[in-house]
Amino acid sequence: MTGLDARTAELKLSRMMQWVPYGPHALLLRFAEGVGEEAFQRSRAIQAELDRHPPTGLVEYVPGFTTMLLRFSPENTVNVEELGRSLAGQFERLAHGKAPEAQLKQIPVVYDGDDLESLAEEKNLPVDELIRLHSEPTYKVYLLGFSPGFPYLGELHPRLHAPRRASPRTRVPAGSVAIGGEHTGIYSVDSPGGWRIIGRTPVKLFDPDQLAVQQSPKDLFFLIPGDRVRFVPTKG
Amino acid sequence: MTHETFRVVRRGVGMSIQDAGRPGLARFGIPPSGVMDDHAAAWANRLLDNPPVAPVVEILMQGTHLEVLRTCWIAITGADARCNFPRWRIVRAHAGEGLVFPLLQKGLWTYVAVEGGFSTPCWLGSASVYPRGRIGRALGDGDVLHVGTEHQLSLPPPVAGRLVSNDEIRDYQHPPAIRLWRGPQWDLFPREDRSSFFQQTWSVSAQSDRVGYRLEGGHLSSEVKQIISEPVLVGSVQVPPGGQPIVTMRDGPTVGGYPKIGLVDPADLSWLAQCRPGVPFQFRLADQPASSPD
Repeated sequence: MTGLDARTAELKLSRMMQWVPYGPHALLLRFAEGVGEEAFQRSRAIQAELDRHPPTGLVEYVPGFTTMLLRFSPENTVNVEELGRSLAGQFERLAHGKAPEAQLKQIPVVYDGDDLESLAEEKNLPVDELIRLHSEPTYKVYLLGFSPGFPYLGELHPRLHAPRRASPRTRVPAGSVAIGGEHTGIYSVDSPGGWRIIGRTPVKLFDPDQLAVQQSPKDLFFLIPGDRVRFVPTKG
Repeated sequence: MTHETFRVVRRGVGMSIQDAGRPGLARFGIPPSGVMDDHAAAWANRLLDNPPVAPVVEILMQGTHLEVLRTCWIAITGADARCNFPRWRIVRAHAGEGLVFPLLQKGLWTYVAVEGGFSTPCWLGSASVYPRGRIGRALGDGDVLHVGTEHQLSLPPPVAGRLVSNDEIRDYQHPPAIRLWRGPQWDLFPREDRSSFFQQTWSVSAQSDRVGYRLEGGHLSSEVKQIISEPVLVGSVQVPPGGQPIVTMRDGPTVGGYPKIGLVDPADLSWLAQCRPGVPFQFRLADQPASSPD
């Protein structure tokens, strides 16, 4: 990298660490412009830093794809503007470091979902090829959302990007492996849903029956933000 | 040891156990849940010397019928659904009596608290149920509610006269202008949207629940494009394509891809929660260091 290139990269980076106030007690930090390996690494580095050195009054942090929500206690009279400035600086320095190694978790999948064949047809792909394209990559767990423990996984092969169903199903069983837009995910509980279902896994991402037993939320979820995932095709 | 204290004869439109909720778990996809109107719920508990965040029964609209199984002190606050017991004061409920909420007049959510507090299961630090996420379930016909004996208080004799002062009893038909903070995508909205949002008179659509309140009355530019999904706070005013805003409520999704024009001030969310469809209200910009809408 030439000196000029390095400087341009530096400038680009500092422009990327932006933040906006989100009400009186929270701020939203934007650390990348697009989804990808860099955004994922940066998110993980920031999460690790927040775990190690939580700022005074921090109640929770919530990762997005390219953003991090930081919510502070209303009792701690914090000036979110000041916090935003100092944290953005702190995280910018972090971005040069290395995030801790991600955990790789395997998820067995039986590819026999109700939308598998219609999706293959729509994409003009043989079913086997669709399965190969879906199970080949190592995915990143960017965030959990929609329902407890539902992972938004990227990056999905562009040929598999597919709009959600026009009318959502009223009940999608937990364990359904599905595609929604540019992402793939796994339904964590029985719920209504509009994603295209291509398979199922016996892995319980979130087990409500364990709620009474487990006190630490981290023990309740098979996947958490920052993990990496591989789908392993299996026979039903 | 617990006592059977109420039986649900008819659940009506909907009812569930709620407390202060379980904030702090959004990164696992778990919304905070908790009472929709923390002002009314806290008063019901305070009347009975319960902690203000003790679990209460939250009743949506009307049609609910509870049978009293054991004589006790109770307090009812929140919406006016023509209950046969007086609200906003402590009342003695006698075994065998019925507690009915036949017809909604004002507000949306009614709270019933009991002396000593309901004895309910707790998940991740809260008794609030979140049925959509399979955390507990809503109350149904035939369910029995228990009250614990360990917290049994002997309320002092003048307790029968306890009531909430008039200036704390809210008129849900006439909410004040609801304070709004600028949302993360405020700058994406055209200037006309940003000013008309505060000039228009809004009301809550009938398609509203613990997940979200749709707003009617005006609409905003539908040209603002969707964004990469990002974390969403309770109280966020999201604007989907079509321009009809949705306010994220306590069971609402923790992430979303619609731009957010603003955030309802956390202290004013209870006012919005009690706005029944048709009740007009307006927003005003919450004080901010660099203020004035442009």
